[in-house]
Amino acid sequence: MEQILKATQLSKYFYQKKALNKVDINIEKGNIYGILGPNGGGKSTFLKIAAGLLKPSQGEITIDNKKPGVYTKSIISYLPETNYLYKWMKIKDALNFFKDLYADFDTERARESLKFMELEEEEKVTSLSKGMMGRLKLTLALSRKAKLYLLDEPLNGIDPISREKIITSILDSYSEKASILICSHLIYYIEKLLDYVFFLSEGRIILSGNAEELRNKRGMSIDKLFQEVF
Amino acid sequence: MMTLLKYEIYRRWRWLVLRYVALIIIGIILLNRVASPAYQNEFIGESIGKFIFASLVIFIIVIVEGINMLKEDLFEECGYLTFTIPKKGRTVLASKLVLLFLQLSFWTMISIGFGSILFSKLPYPEIVQIETQINFYLFPTVLFILTAFFNFVLMVHFSLTLTKTLLVNKRYSSLLSTGIFFFLIYFIEKVYYGPFLNQLNHVSIEIGSRSNINLLSGGYPAVFLNIILTAIFFTATAYLLENKINI
Repeated sequence: MEQILKATQLSKYFYQKKALNKVDINIEKGNIYGILGPNGGGKSTFLKIAAGLLKPSQGEITIDNKKPGVYTKSIISYLPETNYLYKWMKIKDALNFFKDLYADFDTERARESLKFMELEEEEKVTSLSKGMMGRLKLTLALSRKAKLYLLDEPLNGIDPISREKIITSILDSYSEKASILICSHLIYYIEKLLDYVFFLSEGRIILSGNAEELRNKRGMSIDKLFQEVF
Repeated sequence: MMTLLKYEIYRRWRWLVLRYVALIIIGIILLNRVASPAYQNEFIGESIGKFIFASLVIFIIVIVEGINMLKEDLFEECGYLTFTIPKKGRTVLASKLVLLFLQLSFWTMISIGFGSILFSKLPYPEIVQIETQINFYLFPTVLFILTAFFNFVLMVHFSLTLTKTLLVNKRYSSLLSTGIFFFLIYFIEKVYYGPFLNQLNHVSIEIGSRSNINLLSGGYPAVFLNIILTAIFFTATAYLLENKINI
């Protein structure tokens, strides 16, 4: 199958701390991948490097056979963990911003998603609760027709109702032409989404494979396996 | 770039309008005061002083905002949005500098407009003489100040961007960027402008007219040096923004 992301011996150091240590990850088109691990394990660092926000200290990463840059940013839809939207924005401004700056942004899809997520376009982003903000960020990220979606902790701090909506939304967005890479430590909720998993701890991949095969081989869910490994 | 410029304006339009409306209102109030026959020349002088002060405050706000436009994106969470859009570093930087140029143009128009009207109220013949002496030499001076202004802002932008290339955390970033900035000032003074100033001094001694030689006396060559420096800092900052920064 065609590869969309390839990381080879990827390392990132912050002073003496190794956030990523010689990580090899291959992402193929049309699958949903999970990078799972405890906080501080290097998951977000990996996504930030793929999104072009951090530069690797060693090793190489390519997306669609290109190093992170303007082209890769045009085909990657990145959802960071932080509230990255400008504070002056209303939801409709965020929609317009994405429509103006991403050629692949589907406004109709975004409007439908806003309805599903029970968000009003006139609301200011600063007035949104954490759950609403999470739903808005996901709406914006998934309304692009990107080749690769990078979702950093999409369920963190989200209430159970919002979690269900987010998971449904991710499933609805699945397409054979695109790949989704989700980083999370809330395995229980996202397990059913994942085709492949990487367990990342202290910057190293300690276990990886097809989710179904791992479940059968170990005789337990990925969530239980995660608890056993960590 | 126009799309980014639109959002840069949209992001801060209330403050932009507020500051220029405030300066215009202050100008109108002061003009009304000096138009009254009850006021003597001292009051006219005082009004001019007040307007210059208000204008300087707005100018400082413009500079600080010009610096913060990039600083916010580099050091705040909104950088995750700015630096994941598929735009080149030079486009991101240029959109901010164009807004800064527009702001500076508004400020100049309002300040020179009201300033010259206020000055014209002074009855001294010398003032009229000064006004009529505005001649050819004004242009290199204005151009020099304009390019020096952009050099200053771009040097700060470069220092901040280089800091974000070397450091990820906010800790020590202010210290490092300040250090880089002052090193650049020292280096440029010694290596770049130094030989040019020496040359100016040398020429002025030969023709026997040495008095307060500085870069402002350099005319168009000094403007040219500034433009080269602006281009260097713009290119270097844009390159770092696109290829090297760690957000």
